[in-house]
Amino acid sequence: MGGIALIDCEQEAKLIGSRLQDYFTPQWHCQYRIDVVNNQYGSEFNFFLDIKRQNHRERSIPLHSLKTTDLTVLERVINGVRQQTELTLNFIDFGHVRWPESQRWIR
Amino acid sequence: MDYRQEPHGLFFMIDNKSFYASVESVTRGLNPLKSVIVVMSEADNTGSGLVLAASPMAKKLFGISNVSRQYEVPDDPRILVVPPRMNHYIQMNLAVNRIFRQFVADADCFPYSIDESILDMTHSWRLFGETPEAVARTIQLRIRRELGLYTTVGIGENPVQAKLALDLQAKHDHELIGRLTYETFPEKIWPITNLKKVWSIGHRTAAHLQRLGIHSIGDLAKINPYELHQEMGIMGDQLFALAWGIDRSQLHDLRPVKEKSWSNSQVLPRNYSVQREIELVIWEIGQQVTSRMRHHRQQAACVSLSVGFAWDGKSGDGRSGMNHTRRINPTDNAQTIIATLLALFREHWEGQLVRNIGVGLSRLSASQQLQLSLFQDPQRQIKNDQFDRVIDELRDRFGKTAVIPASSLMPGGTMVRRAALVGGHNGGNSFD
Repeated sequence: MGGIALIDCEQEAKLIGSRLQDYFTPQWHCQYRIDVVNNQYGSEFNFFLDIKRQNHRERSIPLHSLKTTDLTVLERVINGVRQQTELTLNFIDFGHVRWPESQRWIR
Repeated sequence: MDYRQEPHGLFFMIDNKSFYASVESVTRGLNPLKSVIVVMSEADNTGSGLVLAASPMAKKLFGISNVSRQYEVPDDPRILVVPPRMNHYIQMNLAVNRIFRQFVADADCFPYSIDESILDMTHSWRLFGETPEAVARTIQLRIRRELGLYTTVGIGENPVQAKLALDLQAKHDHELIGRLTYETFPEKIWPITNLKKVWSIGHRTAAHLQRLGIHSIGDLAKINPYELHQEMGIMGDQLFALAWGIDRSQLHDLRPVKEKSWSNSQVLPRNYSVQREIELVIWEIGQQVTSRMRHHRQQAACVSLSVGFAWDGKSGDGRSGMNHTRRINPTDNAQTIIATLLALFREHWEGQLVRNIGVGLSRLSASQQLQLSLFQDPQRQIKNDQFDRVIDELRDRFGKTAVIPASSLMPGGTMVRRAALVGGHNGGNSFD
């Protein structure tokens, strides 16, 4: 690619939301969670739907990869995702950092 | 044994430890050696699900092996199950090979499989370290640092030594490095009695060797090679060379394929017993193979059909399947080829349950202008020919499912669901 890759935050959030709709089928005794991983090796942010059912194997389904390391972009996408779902977001490997816009801790 | 005449190079055979599972661990921020992760394909034809890869910890704690079935994997909350993403693994394999190419010339890097590569380090290893082991360590650390993956390295003076060092030593070594030379070969390899563990020896060859009174690699090395040749033919020569760690292959002179052919096969999602359904799949695979061949501007003069029977539906005479071949006039026309396939099927099928279907096209030649047959309406023939090409073009431009025959929507059709798969498994999310 090279140069600045333009990422349409709204579009990305929508894509995550639509994939979530396909895989998220609420059931009893199940914990659902969205994992957001800061993947240092791939320079990308990965989204997974994590499903934990009591006494059963845990499942993790890939939702999307955001090809950027820019937290501002991620913050906007996350805001978009939060408007579509109430699921808990779990941030992995972000360290002790604040969001660039809202200045809250990432967690 | 006089090894002076044998090639003395330096070869690395590098493999990614539990490749698919490791890649999935890294994208989730987990350590590939510590995570308990299982990559499970739930494609239609894998039954309840098939384990494509298990992380080292999953193997150790739960005894899960690759190609385990879903029901063999314990329902334990410590296990994380993830779907495969074949396209992503291909990308990672390319990334790994890009790193290898920083240590050897492009011509000296030979990808061997999705997670293994052979590096001919003969000319370049001195640039990167004092000893071959140190160079191997450097490569391992580079890959760990840049991609997060762990690699296992087998070092040898020729490719086969490197492969055996990888399979038999490195995988059990703390540093994940193993090394064989002509001198150490007898000491390290000859005591092996489980012949199946050695590369290129499968369970049938192992049984054959056992029958000959060969119970270890040492026995194999000490047998009279002429007797072995008489018993096993050229495979005997190859095994004898293997037992002495000899490999004269020159990776740089690629051998041209003797005769190329095109083929596709698939395992069906369930046992098929209805003739119409089986024929539908034969039809679909026939279309697929013919279309691949047409892309290479070739035509076939030989059509083969292989049908595997369901495990419990073996024919009375104990056959597990059938293979039939027929010569035809060279053509790249799907209709003709499929008609031949169906004829073969109808002649030989006796109502067995079917689980596996494969189609092959061989005796290829460059496809020239359409050769009209005297016995058919020429306009019709030209139309048929153009029809195929238009379909090919549509699929190239708009994807494999842009146009599908309505019959593929009938019970038994597999084309639509398989279109999204890579190597028979989930390719991963598109637009990623």
